[in-house]
Amino acid sequence: MLGAIARRLAASAATLIAVIILAGLLIHIVPGDPVTAMMAQSVTATPEVMAEMRRHLGLDLPVWQQVGLYLFHVVQGDLGLTIRGNEPVLTLLIQRLPNTFMLAVSGLGVALAIGLPLGFVAALNRNGLGDSVVMLIAVLGVSIPSFWLGLVLLQVFSLDLGWLPVAGSGWRNMILPALTLGVTYSALVARMTRSTVIEILGEDYVRTARARGLREWQVLSIHVLRPALINIVTVVGLVFAYLMGGQVIIENVFSWNGIGRLAIQAMLQRDYPLIQGFIIVFASSVVLVSVVLDILYRILDPRLSRP
Amino acid sequence: MTRRRVSWTVMLGIGMVALILILAAVAPWLAPFDPLRMAVGPRLAAPQAGFWFGTDEFGRDLFSRVLCGARLSIGIGFVAITIGLVLGGVIGVLAAFSGRWVQALVLRALDVLYSFPDTLIALALVAFLGPGLSNATIAIAISLIPFYARVTFGLAAVERPKPYVEAARLAGVSHSRLLAVHVLPNISQTLIVMGTLGFSSAILSAAGLSFLGLGVQPPAPEWGAILAGGRNYLTKAPWILLCPGLAICLTVLSFNLIGDSWRDLVDPRRRGRS
Repeated sequence: MLGAIARRLAASAATLIAVIILAGLLIHIVPGDPVTAMMAQSVTATPEVMAEMRRHLGLDLPVWQQVGLYLFHVVQGDLGLTIRGNEPVLTLLIQRLPNTFMLAVSGLGVALAIGLPLGFVAALNRNGLGDSVVMLIAVLGVSIPSFWLGLVLLQVFSLDLGWLPVAGSGWRNMILPALTLGVTYSALVARMTRSTVIEILGEDYVRTARARGLREWQVLSIHVLRPALINIVTVVGLVFAYLMGGQVIIENVFSWNGIGRLAIQAMLQRDYPLIQGFIIVFASSVVLVSVVLDILYRILDPRLSRP
Repeated sequence: MTRRRVSWTVMLGIGMVALILILAAVAPWLAPFDPLRMAVGPRLAAPQAGFWFGTDEFGRDLFSRVLCGARLSIGIGFVAITIGLVLGGVIGVLAAFSGRWVQALVLRALDVLYSFPDTLIALALVAFLGPGLSNATIAIAISLIPFYARVTFGLAAVERPKPYVEAARLAGVSHSRLLAVHVLPNISQTLIVMGTLGFSSAILSAAGLSFLGLGVQPPAPEWGAILAGGRNYLTKAPWILLCPGLAICLTVLSFNLIGDSWRDLVDPRRRGRS
């Protein structure tokens, strides 16, 4: 078990290094000169300032050296300074990370609360009416753009009914964005739950349990629900990654002060070091969550925790 | 999944897609106004006779804008999918017919990319390429490559041990000719069907990018861009939100209805543990 976890950690580290190298290379897909693009909106862009910035970002070096240097700095926790304001990128992102995590976890909670029961209902009624209805809801769910759903909820609950505040950072402000994310990604959870439960219903041990004359509720709660929930732990990581991706847009809809909102501001202002930092922090969060879930899965599943 | 249920939802999807394609094709003739022309009516007018979807803050007709926006969304989707399918397909076929180490490396890289949401990959690319229609299309195309490469790999790997491949090899057919002339035609039909799966994701990404101001730029009547404009008038003119949003939903829904029955078979996202 420890060996498996060690291998998993090594693979995650390799993934993150690949992400850092890609993020470092991204500055080279900027059409033309990146410094000119960055300084396009600045009034103080004299040739001297631009030459200094080029040197500062290491853009005068060969590409492989630039990427090597970037990797070297990032591994030490130095993500560079923002173009606007010369602030440390890492500090800016870390300050907003708790807000983003809080919203992501709440959204995930809503998605699981809606998606898990729906997925179970669909799987237990396989091919029946319940299944059709749930799957139709799931298709509808993945077809609604989350930012539009967010705007509609904002319109109805904040502006028309006046129940919730429009912008701010209190817990009441988190209700609508968490609901938006939860509803959007519950469809994904429902589909994954459905296929997991259907798979388990076909297992030999379920047939054995039925043959032993157990009541249906005993079969379902002991032999289906438990393994299903354990299996679902593994897909939750993927849902979390997609939810955090969708959250980048949702934070902008609700003016939620997280890393997604910061990232979009950086993108509109072409603050390249800040965008690169966002990509790395985002990837690290996703990788970290998936590693934690993987370890949790190994602990929960008795078949894997035995040596 | 029963045969009957699949068929009616797929038929509904095909019917809706056909309708949307026709509407997009005849949009310039069907639209009562030029979608870009300002002050064809009062500003921020509610839906009424003559202005079925209402007007926006510049007095432009929203019905004409949403109708003509279909061309942009479907156009972006089509071009992005074509590029993504071709590039992803090449990577997938090459990987399936290469040695064990190359294969493992490519698959690992694809899995890493696949664990990031495609919209986010498109967003990151556009941030560096710069906003605009063509850059957004390229970014979305690249964001679809992992999915298509993975799907193609799965299809091509099934072909590899088949007798016709060995027969072609023994007949002295070159590697590139084997892939292009013998393997590709055998999987192309399934691949094109898979192409429709990317449509919904491409249209959602395009709308999202434009909504954030990083995709198609105003005044172009892209659905996401119309929503971004209407966002400032939530209290005064809520109808600006309604129709472009519903247009995105219906278009994405119709492609999803078609693709849904195949998705379970190919989507690596739903492979569970592997």
